[in-house]
Amino acid sequence: MRRTMTSIGIGIAMCLTIVLALTATAALQTSPTAQLTESKVQLASAGPMTFGPAGILFVGDSLGASVAAIDTGDTKAPASAVKINVDGIDTKIAALVGIAPDQIIINDVTVNPVSKNVYVSASRGRSADAAPLIVKVDGTGALTLLPLDKIRNASVSLVDAPAANPSAQRNPRTQTITGMAYVNGNVMVAGLSNEEWKSALRSIPYPFKTASQGATIQIWHSSHGQYETESPVRTFVPYTIAGQQYILAAYTCTPLVKIPVSQLTPGAKIKGQEIADLGAGNQPLDMVPYSKDGHNYILISNTAFGVLKLKADNLETYPAIVEPTRTDVAGVPFDKIAALTNVKHMAAVDGANVLLVTAKPGAAAVGSVSLSTVALP
Amino acid sequence: MLFRKGALRKFLLVWIAVIAMVAMTAIAQSPSIQLDSGAFKITGWNPPASVRDWSTYFIVYAGSGDVPPLAGTYAVETGVLVFHPRFPIAAAVQYRAVFHPPGGNAITKLFDGPKRETAPMARVTQVYPSADVWPSNQLRLYIYFSSPMSRGEAARRIHILDDKGKALEGTEAVLLRGEELWDPGFQRLTMTFDPGRIKRDLTSNKTMGPPIAEGKRYTLIIDRDWPDARGAPMIEGFRKEYRGGPAQRTAPDPKQWRVTPPKAGAAGALIIDFPVPMNYPLLQRMIRVTDTKGNIAGTIDIQRQETQWRFTPRETWKAGEYQLIIDTGIEDLAGNHIGQLFDIDTFDHITERITAATVSLRFSVR
Repeated sequence: MRRTMTSIGIGIAMCLTIVLALTATAALQTSPTAQLTESKVQLASAGPMTFGPAGILFVGDSLGASVAAIDTGDTKAPASAVKINVDGIDTKIAALVGIAPDQIIINDVTVNPVSKNVYVSASRGRSADAAPLIVKVDGTGALTLLPLDKIRNASVSLVDAPAANPSAQRNPRTQTITGMAYVNGNVMVAGLSNEEWKSALRSIPYPFKTASQGATIQIWHSSHGQYETESPVRTFVPYTIAGQQYILAAYTCTPLVKIPVSQLTPGAKIKGQEIADLGAGNQPLDMVPYSKDGHNYILISNTAFGVLKLKADNLETYPAIVEPTRTDVAGVPFDKIAALTNVKHMAAVDGANVLLVTAKPGAAAVGSVSLSTVALP
Repeated sequence: MLFRKGALRKFLLVWIAVIAMVAMTAIAQSPSIQLDSGAFKITGWNPPASVRDWSTYFIVYAGSGDVPPLAGTYAVETGVLVFHPRFPIAAAVQYRAVFHPPGGNAITKLFDGPKRETAPMARVTQVYPSADVWPSNQLRLYIYFSSPMSRGEAARRIHILDDKGKALEGTEAVLLRGEELWDPGFQRLTMTFDPGRIKRDLTSNKTMGPPIAEGKRYTLIIDRDWPDARGAPMIEGFRKEYRGGPAQRTAPDPKQWRVTPPKAGAAGALIIDFPVPMNYPLLQRMIRVTDTKGNIAGTIDIQRQETQWRFTPRETWKAGEYQLIIDTGIEDLAGNHIGQLFDIDTFDHITERITAATVSLRFSVR
C-alpha cells in the first residue's frame, strides 16, 4: 500500500514537474527577452534608440548596418517622480571613458518609459573607429556605462549578406539610421543612403528572425497633387488619432505627414498625407506628442526653427494641404517656443515633461552639452 | 672603556649599515602609483586579501571638476593592485590617480596621455560632380579625402558663397546642415542639397528657389582646419567654383547611351558615353558586364566629368556576345534614375514607369 502511495506520489510529483517545466518554457518563449543571449553586442556605432517592451533598448547602428536589442534589466518604476538635469554631460561622459571632451559626440537620447532613467548613445571619438557608448543616467544624475561587452542582446542586419568574394573592395555604401520607433511589435527604421536617393522605411518584427532584414516600405510624398517624390523619412513618432494608430513622419524635405500604421505592410508603396509644411531652410529633428488642458500637441525640434508646438486637435479631420503656400508655415497651426533654444535632441519623459539635450552652437558646444527635464509647454 | 677604538668604529659601521638597509627597505616599500602598459598600478603596497570595493583605496579620474571616475576594472596581479581602464589611454587627457592607503595619507599622481598629432597629412582629393556647371536641381555632393577624417565638422567646415562672396548660412543654407553621410572608412563624405528647395512646389522651393540658381556663380570652400581622424588639420583647404546650369529633368535612358565595344584579342576598354553627367559613386557599382558564364572581372574608370564609363577586363576580350546589366537605381546628378524622375510630374502621362531592378544592353565583341 505504502509502495503504491509512494508510486502515486512520485507520479504526481513528476507530472507537476513536467507541468511546471512546460509552463516555464511557455513563459520563456513568450517573454520579450527570451531570445536574448549574454554576449558582446555587435555594435560598430550607437545611434538612434527606442525602448521596446520589458526594458529592451533598441539601438540603431549606422556603421554596422544593424539594429541591436539590448536587455537593460531596467524595469522598476521609480519610487517618486524625478527630474534629471545634468550640466556638461559631454564632459562627464568624456571623464568616464577617458577621452578629451571634444571627442565625445552625443548621437541620441531616450527615456526608459518605466524607470524614467535616461539613456544616451554616444561615440568615443570622431573617427571611423570611435567606440560606441550607451550611458545610463539615473535619477540622481549618476552615469553608468552599459556593459556592451557582456549583456543579453540580439542583433539583426539591415543589409544583404557580405559579398562572397572576400578580396572585393570594402563597400563604401552605408545607410545612416535617422529615426527608429517600436510600433505594434515591429522596430521601424528610417534611414538615408550615402549613395542613392531611393530609401525605404524598414519594418523589422521583434523578436528578430534569423537573417531577416524586415520588410521595406516605399514612402512617397506628393506636393500639392502634382509632383511625387520618393521621400526618405527623417524622423517619426507613433501616434493615435481618433482610435487609429498612425506614424507622424517628417520627411527629409521638411513636410510633416501622417501614415496609418495599417498601411505599413511589406512591399507597400505609401503616400503620406501632408498635415504641415514647416517652411524653408529647416529640418525637423525630434517629435514628442502630448496632451495638456484637454488639447493635443506635438512638440517638434528643428535645425533652424527652434522648437515648435503643433496644435494637434482634430488631426483626423484636418484637411490635407492641397495648395502651394507662400507663407513660412502651412497646414496645422503651430507656435514657436522661444524659451527652448539650442535643442539638439528631445525625448518624451511622461505626460508633463520632456527631456532636452542642448548645446551651444559651433565651437562653443564642447563642455556645454546638457540634459534638462522641462515642463511641456 | 668598554670598547677599544677599533671595535667601536666597527660597531658604528655595522649600525650605519643596518640603518641604511632599513631606510632603503622603507623607501622600497613606500607605495607609489605607476602607469604601465595602459594600466595604473600601486607598487610598494601589499593589497589586503579580500576587498569588496577597491575604489575605496584607489581611483583614477580623467577630468577635473564634478566628473565620474574613469571606467575600468581592478585586479590584484602578482601581489600588485592594478586598475585597467575600460578604454585605451587617449591623447590630450590628463589622468589623476589617487591612492588612499589604509591609515596613511592619500597619494595623488598626474599622468599625461600622449600628445595629439599635429602633422597635417589629409587633403581633399576630389569633389564630385567634377564639372564646373552643376544643374540647378543638383542633389548630392561627394567629397573625397586622402585620409580618414573626423565627423561632426561639416556644418562649420563647408561653406558655399554666392557670386558676391556672401556665405549662404542659417536659413539660406543650401546643404542639409549636419547631415553627414560617411563611407565606413570616413574618407568620403556625402552631403545633400536641401531637397525641400529642389522639389517643385514645396514651400521651400517656392519661397527660396532651388539651392543652385541657373546662371549664378558659387564657390565651395572646405576649411583646412577640418581635423583628420588623428585630430590634425589638413595640409590645405579646398576651393571650387561652379555655375548653376539648367535643371536636369530627363530620367537616364540606357537607349540613349553610346556603347563602344572593344576589339577581340585585346584588353582594351569597353566604353559607354552618357548624354549628361552621372552620379560618380553609383557608376562604380551599378553597371556590370556579363557573358554567358557570368560577370566579367575588370576595373572601372570614370572619365570626362562623369559622362564616360570605361571598363578594362582582367583578361583579353574573346569574340562573342555580351551584356551590360544596369541597375535601374543608377542616378544622374539630380537624383533622376532609370524610368523615374526625382520629382515626377503626375500630370505628365508620358513618364515611363519602370519597376524592374535591372535593364540590359547587348553588345558584340568582334
